[in-house]
Amino acid sequence: MALLEIKNVSKFFGGLAANADVSFAMEAGMIMGLIGPNGAGKTTLFNCITGYYPPSRGEVLFKGMKMNGLEPDRVCKLGMARTWQKVRPLAKMSVVDNVMVGALCRTNSLKKARELAMEQIRVVRLDHKIDFPAGGLTIGERKKLEVARVLATRPELLLLDEVMGGLNPAESDEIIRLILDIKKQGITQMVIEHDMKAIMRISDRIVVLNSGEKLAEGSPEEIVANPEVIAAYLGSD
Amino acid sequence: MRNPITQLTGQQGLTPVTTIIALLALASLYAIPCFVESPYALHIMILLFLSTIMGEGWNIIGGYAGQYSVGHAAYFGAGAYGTLILLNMKGIPPWYGVWAGIGAAVILSLIIGNICFRLRGPYFVLASIAVAEIVRLTVLNIPSITNGAEGILLSDLPPFKIGERVITDFISKVPFYYIGLTLAVFTILVTWLIQNSKLGYYFQAIREDQDAAHSLGINLNFYKNVALAISASLTSLAGAFYAIYVKFIDPTTVLPLDLSVQIVLIAIIGGIGTIFGPVIGALVLVPLSEALRSNVIAQSLINSGLVKEDSGMGVFLKEHLAHAHVLIYGILVVVVILFMPDGVLGFIKKLAARRKRGDA
Amino acid sequence: MTFSVLLQALISGILIGGVYALIGIGLTIIFGVMRVINFAHGDLMMVGMYLTYFLFTLAGIDPFVSIAITIPLMFLFGGILQKVFINRILGTLPQNQILLTIGLGLIMSNAMMLAFTSDYKILTTSYSSSSINLGGISISQPLTVSFVITAVITVFLYWFLMKTDTGQAIRATAQDREAAQLMGINVKWMSILAFGIGSSLAGTAGALISPTYYIFPQVGSAFTLKAFVITVLGGMGSIVGATLGGIIIGIVESVGAVTISSDWKDVLVFTIFLLVLLIKPSGLMGKSRM
Repeated sequence: MALLEIKNVSKFFGGLAANADVSFAMEAGMIMGLIGPNGAGKTTLFNCITGYYPPSRGEVLFKGMKMNGLEPDRVCKLGMARTWQKVRPLAKMSVVDNVMVGALCRTNSLKKARELAMEQIRVVRLDHKIDFPAGGLTIGERKKLEVARVLATRPELLLLDEVMGGLNPAESDEIIRLILDIKKQGITQMVIEHDMKAIMRISDRIVVLNSGEKLAEGSPEEIVANPEVIAAYLGSD
Repeated sequence: MRNPITQLTGQQGLTPVTTIIALLALASLYAIPCFVESPYALHIMILLFLSTIMGEGWNIIGGYAGQYSVGHAAYFGAGAYGTLILLNMKGIPPWYGVWAGIGAAVILSLIIGNICFRLRGPYFVLASIAVAEIVRLTVLNIPSITNGAEGILLSDLPPFKIGERVITDFISKVPFYYIGLTLAVFTILVTWLIQNSKLGYYFQAIREDQDAAHSLGINLNFYKNVALAISASLTSLAGAFYAIYVKFIDPTTVLPLDLSVQIVLIAIIGGIGTIFGPVIGALVLVPLSEALRSNVIAQSLINSGLVKEDSGMGVFLKEHLAHAHVLIYGILVVVVILFMPDGVLGFIKKLAARRKRGDA
Repeated sequence: MTFSVLLQALISGILIGGVYALIGIGLTIIFGVMRVINFAHGDLMMVGMYLTYFLFTLAGIDPFVSIAITIPLMFLFGGILQKVFINRILGTLPQNQILLTIGLGLIMSNAMMLAFTSDYKILTTSYSSSSINLGGISISQPLTVSFVITAVITVFLYWFLMKTDTGQAIRATAQDREAAQLMGINVKWMSILAFGIGSSLAGTAGALISPTYYIFPQVGSAFTLKAFVITVLGGMGSIVGATLGGIIIGIVESVGAVTISSDWKDVLVFTIFLLVLLIKPSGLMGKSRM
C-alpha cells in the first residue's frame, strides 16, 4: 500500500484553480521531488495535504486513512509533518525549546522531550547554539532549526518546502546531506525545491506541477529530458 | 548561564543560593505582621498582593499564550459577585462561596473562549472587550440577583472557625494580609509550574506562531481554552479577595473596562511572559497610585519649594492630582508600549544582552 | 406599541445613524490605511464635543456653524497624534497598537476630566429641543440638520477619495501599502492624512450631536465601542459598509429602546457585534475595499 496517495486533488480560491486534478502516490522510504515554476501550486498542495486548508475536491490518503478535513495537529500526530517556505521560528524561545515543542508531540515529560530535542539538534549540528533565541539565528540556522523541530515530532512522512531557499552552496550541501541522512532513518520525504542540481541528486521520483496541474511524473532522468517540462520552465515563445 | 536576571525571568532553574534567598524573603514576608502594626502599611501590602494576583492571572493567557484579553474584569467581577451574592443572600461563608465565583469564571471563560478564539489578534481583543461589557451591563440590569447599580455592601464577615475554635474574626487587617500573601505566592507557584511544563511550552508556541504550533501537533483550541480557564480562575480569586476585603462591590468598581486595562498594565509593565513581571508591575503601580491618592506627590512638590502652596498650580495639584491616577495609567501604557514593550524585565534583559555582546 | 411610535423610533434611528456612520467612516479609514484599531476614536469625538461647547459658550458660535473650525482643528490634532505616537508602532503587534491607542484615549479623557471636571455640560441652542411635525410624527430638528450635514460630508468624502489624486493615493495605500510605496506614494504622509481625516470625522460627529447629548469626559468610551460594532458590521476598511453599519446600528438602538428596553439595548448591540465576528467577521462589505 502506498504511504501517501493524492487522488484528483483540486483547490479553488474563488475562480482560480491553484491545484487542478493532481494525482500521484508515494511509497514508504522514497524521496519525491515536487518542482514547477513559481505559482504552480506546490505550496498549495502541501497546505491541502497537511490540513492547513482542505482540498476543494479529491482525496488525500495517508497510510490508507482519509486526511481531508483533519486539523493540522491531528495530521502531525498521525505522522505527517511539514516545514514552511517562509521559516517560522518560535522567535522568543531558545533553539532547544523550539525543538522541544516538536518533541512534546510524542511525550508529556519535559526531560524526555529535551533528550529527543538534543538528538535532533545534534543531527542538524546546532548544538553550539541551543540557548540562543531562535529569532537571532541566521537564515541557514533557522532552516536547520525548522528541520530539527519537525524531526522531533517523529514523522513518517516529511514535507520540506523550499528548505534550501536563500542558502549559500555550503549550507545547501549540508541540507542535502541532512535529507539523505533522514532517508537512511527510513523517513519518507516530499521536497519542494527550485535548486535543480539538488533535486536531481536526492529524488527517487519527481512530480512537475505547472499552473496547478500535474505536468509530468517520472525518474529524474525522464523529467530532465521531457520537452513539456523544459517548455514550462523556459516559457513558450 | 544562571545569572540573577535569567532566574528572575524564570527561564532557568533556581540555583541553591537563589532558592535560599527566595525562601528567606518569603519567610520575612510572612513575619512582617509580627513587627509592623500600622494598618496603612498592611493595606499597601495587601494592595500589592491583590495586584500581583491579578497580573499573574492575566499573564497566563496574555503573556504566555499571547492572547491579549482586555476583558478580564469579567472574571474579577465573577469572583467578587459570586462570593458576595452567596454570602449576603444565602449566608454561605466566603471560603465556600469563592468556589462558586471560580466556577462561574471558568464557565464564562469556556464560553468566551469558544466564541472568541477563532478570531485573531485585534479582533480577539475587541471581542474580549465586548463580552466584558455584556457581563457588566447584565449584572447592572438584574438587580434582583445582584442589586444592580447599588452594589452589594457587606457588613461583617463570619468568623473563620476550625471546629469550635475561632481562628480569626477578620476585624484587623492581619488575616487579610496573610490571605493575600498566600494567594499571591500561590499564583506565582502556578505560573512557575506552568512555565516548566508541557503547558508552558505549548502556550508560548501558540504565542510565537499559531500556525507553526498547529502544524507541530498542538490543538490550538484546547490549549487556548486551558490557558484562559486557568487565567480566569486566578483572576476570580483576586475578585473574591477584593470583595471580602473592601466589603463593597458594584458594577463600576469590579467590572469596568478601566479595570481590565489596569490588569493588562500590571503584567506588561513588568514584562509579560515572565514569572516575576507582574510582581514588578504591581511594585510600580501600587505605590504610584497610592502616592497620587494620598497627595504625597502634591505635598512633596510643595514642601520642596518647587510649587507654592497657595499658587494656582499648588491648589490645582492638591485638589486634582489625587484623581489623576487613571491619567497616569494612560501615560504609563503609552510610555511602556513605545519604549519598553517587553516591560521592565525585558528592558533589563536587552541591556544585559547588549553588555554581554559588548564584552565578547 | 403603536405603529407611529415604531415609525418615529425608526426615523430617529436613521437620523442618529447618520452621525454614527460618520464615526464609523473615520474609524474604518484609519484601519483601512494603517491597519490600526484606534481605541481612542470615541475620545476624539469627545474632544470635538468640548471644542464645540466652548466655541458656543465663549464665542457664541452655533454648533453647526463652528464645524468649519472643528474640522481643520481636529484634522491637525489627529495628524499630530499620528506623527508623534501612532507612527512609531505601525509595524508592531496589533495587540500593542490597541494598547497604545487605549492609553492615548485614557490620557485624553482623564486630562479633560482634570481640566474641566466630570460635570455634565449641556449645550442648549434655541432649537435643541425643536422638532418638525410630519403627519403626527415628531422628528428632532437638530438631528435632521446633522443628518443633512453628515450626508453632505459623506458625499464630499466619497468624491475626494474617488476623484482626486490624493484620495486615490490614500485608497492605494489602503489596498496595498508596499505596492503604493513602490509607485512613489509617500505612505507615511498618507497615514498622517488618514488619521487626520479620521479624527476630524470623529470630532465633527461630536460637534453634530452636541446640541442633543450630555457632554462629559467619559462620553467617548461608549462611542468607541459603538464605532467598532459599526465598522466590523460594515466591514473594516469599507466606507459604504461603515455608512450602512452606522444606520443599521442607529435603527437597532432606537427601535430596541422602545421595543425591549433602554437598559438592554446596549447588550443587544454588543451581541450583534459578537454574532458578526463569529459568522462573518469581514462584515457586510468585506475587507479593504474603500
